[in-house]
Amino acid sequence: MAGQREAQSVPWFADERPAEVIADGVRLDGRSLEEFRNVFLKTGVISQASGSAYAEFGHTKVMVGVYGPRQSERRVEYSEQGRINVDVKLASFATRQRGIFGQSPEERELSAGVQAALEAAADLASFPKASADVYVLVLEAGGGELGVAATAAALALADAGIELFDIVVACSVSRVDGCLLLDPSTDESFREQGGLVLALLPTSNEVTQLVSRGRWSGSQLREGLELAMGGCAQLESAARQCLKDAVVAAAAKQRQQQQQAQA
Amino acid sequence: MTEIVTPGERLALSAEYDAGTGTCVKDTFICATLVGIKRVLPAGQAEAEQRPRVEVVRSGVEPVVPRAGDTVTARVVRINPRLAAVDILCVGPKPVQQRYSGVIRVQDVRATEIDKVKIEASFRPGDVVRAEVLSLGDARSYHLTTAQNQLGVVYARSAAGVPMVPLSWQEMQCPTTKAVENRKVAKLDA
Repeated sequence: MAGQREAQSVPWFADERPAEVIADGVRLDGRSLEEFRNVFLKTGVISQASGSAYAEFGHTKVMVGVYGPRQSERRVEYSEQGRINVDVKLASFATRQRGIFGQSPEERELSAGVQAALEAAADLASFPKASADVYVLVLEAGGGELGVAATAAALALADAGIELFDIVVACSVSRVDGCLLLDPSTDESFREQGGLVLALLPTSNEVTQLVSRGRWSGSQLREGLELAMGGCAQLESAARQCLKDAVVAAAAKQRQQQQQAQA
Repeated sequence: MTEIVTPGERLALSAEYDAGTGTCVKDTFICATLVGIKRVLPAGQAEAEQRPRVEVVRSGVEPVVPRAGDTVTARVVRINPRLAAVDILCVGPKPVQQRYSGVIRVQDVRATEIDKVKIEASFRPGDVVRAEVLSLGDARSYHLTTAQNQLGVVYARSAAGVPMVPLSWQEMQCPTTKAVENRKVAKLDA
């Protein structure tokens, strides 16, 4: 009924979005134009999943669970290669407006975007006929969700032991009043004249996904891509360190369990 | 000194080393495909192993997927005159974490007289069988075969519910009721 629908779209945040997002080269949250938000990455956060990862980029919080490789559903046809199925869900409290029931167009776009970013990275021939199901839950959508989701999903796939040619790192860039901002928040990307999301395999700099929005001139686009590639290079070291830390922690826990068993 | 590597990291030159498990060859490099510890195994004696091998060993649970040629342990779920449907429990010594379906078709039950095979006299629901993966099969199940001496039923309960003792490659006997039932029995090494 029409009345019920309107009641469902009451915004959580009643404040207006800020009109100016840059002042003298400093952004609203104090960052410089080419600075990332505070990044936190951790794998192995969901015990029942084959692999999982949690990523926080400032106010964007994403949790990913990977289940598989497991037998594909019956109605899916035979394939010599494995499949990666991505399902992104924005929690109803993640965005400024409460989410609608069912999958919104934004979630469908995010699912397709993350799937494209991951498919080139996984060695699909290593799990023929089976599929790896990737469930992404965005707990808070503070900006750059596609990039954060793709990075977290790649970490979760690596955590699940699925063979990957390389990890995927992704970041976003916004152009506001001629300035290029790396890793924009929602307030910043709301004011953008152009934006792009770049996902790549860092060792070989192979691009797996590039989404561009709005207007870009040739030179602006080149600068934007260079900034995004630099951002991805920064993320790469954080992502690899996160995976290595998980191995060290798991080994320490195993040693502790063995010692306790002997005692 | 254990070196932890992540997917995509270059481990060695492909000209000097062989690629082992958990690695792939990209251009002139051997790159890791898993998160784990890098291990270098010295060159073997055989002709094919002239170079040392680099592999990545993953700690934790490795996903297990059946492949053609693997010996699997499966439980029979359903039979009909054309095939026996099974649930794959283990691939080699490793249990699977997910459900995989397999099918033993009537022509793959044994090697001799395949046109006279009766599924009813070879398998019953609830039997545990050892089989070999023939191929990936179709979308729904792997194709398995028991057409070798060491493949077939390894554990079965009689109609009375008691585990049976094998008598020959075709018969098993219930120790309590002494009834003999027909199965395609696996010949296991003592």
